[in-house]
Amino acid sequence: MSSNNFNLREQDYQRIGAILGRMHRELRAELVLLISRSGQTIAMSGSAGSIDCTSLASLAAANLAATDGLANIVGEREFSVLLHQGRQRSLFISDLLKKFSLVLVFDATASLGLVRYKCKRTATLLEDVIRSFQQRMEKAGSMPDYPDFSDDELEELLGRIDP
Amino acid sequence: MTFINYVAREINCKIVYYGPGLGGKTTNLQYVYQITSPENKGKLISLATETERTLFFDFLPIDLGQIRGFRTRFHLYTVPGQVFYDSSRKLILKGVDGVVFVADSQEERLDANLESLANLAQNLKEQGFDISCIPYVLQLNKRDLPSAMPVESLQQQLLVKGEPVFEAVAPRGVGVLDTLKAVARQVLVELRKSA
Repeated sequence: MSSNNFNLREQDYQRIGAILGRMHRELRAELVLLISRSGQTIAMSGSAGSIDCTSLASLAAANLAATDGLANIVGEREFSVLLHQGRQRSLFISDLLKKFSLVLVFDATASLGLVRYKCKRTATLLEDVIRSFQQRMEKAGSMPDYPDFSDDELEELLGRIDP
Repeated sequence: MTFINYVAREINCKIVYYGPGLGGKTTNLQYVYQITSPENKGKLISLATETERTLFFDFLPIDLGQIRGFRTRFHLYTVPGQVFYDSSRKLILKGVDGVVFVADSQEERLDANLESLANLAQNLKEQGFDISCIPYVLQLNKRDLPSAMPVESLQQQLLVKGEPVFEAVAPRGVGVLDTLKAVARQVLVELRKSA
């Protein structure tokens, strides 16, 4: 399991935040999220407001995964981009290296061409960051400030499951 | 894929409830949702058919609080148990950290349990996991039904590797939290080992 773990450090977070923030400003998007393909929110820019980001990330990951399945059925390697158009808000989901996804919530009146263009550019920038921290994680091995908890601390935490 | 965010100091883990159709996977999540306080849970999302059978998955995020300054969150998922939704099951296993197999204790469902267990092992393998290595718990559900098989017989048939086994009656919550605790414990111990 450990080899699949993903550890986000300050420097990665700053770089990702800057990229998402720029996209958020340029498109005047409501919300921009970087999520893992397992459905966890990694970073975001914008105000979530009434949007439940945890559920959004989970459903967006599932949506993209289901679309991959559809692509395989019709003989495509992937459908790397998903667009859902609504009356008020639209949703754009783009794959990043099969491990992450970019999710954008934006005003439905925005230019789709511009959204696609900016998303493509942002995806390229994010992929560079992801590649660099993946390489660093492979080299670094264990993390120096890993949450190394005791058995008692673990049992105390698990005790909170049982109210 | 356990996601540790050192900046926000968060640990995020994914647990999947697997098993045959109508075995009680969704009921497990519904019980956890019912008893968890509002500040420690998100929305329970169920993507179900019009007859309330799981179509894609159920999803419940829960927050256990802090350990060593890290906020610990578990994302609980169920898979659709019906045989023909295999593609969906594979997708849900993506990035899984721990699995609960919810077996139906009724004698007439033994074949369905065995088929689902074999399917789990195969689908985990396709995702690059080995069932004998991943955090894993067996729950024997529906212990209150008259046709429930003896625990020993079920263990003989379903035990994979000496994993923790819990008897459950999910609608009443019997065994539900013990099951969740056991799999969460294994996931966090694995995480600690990888340090």
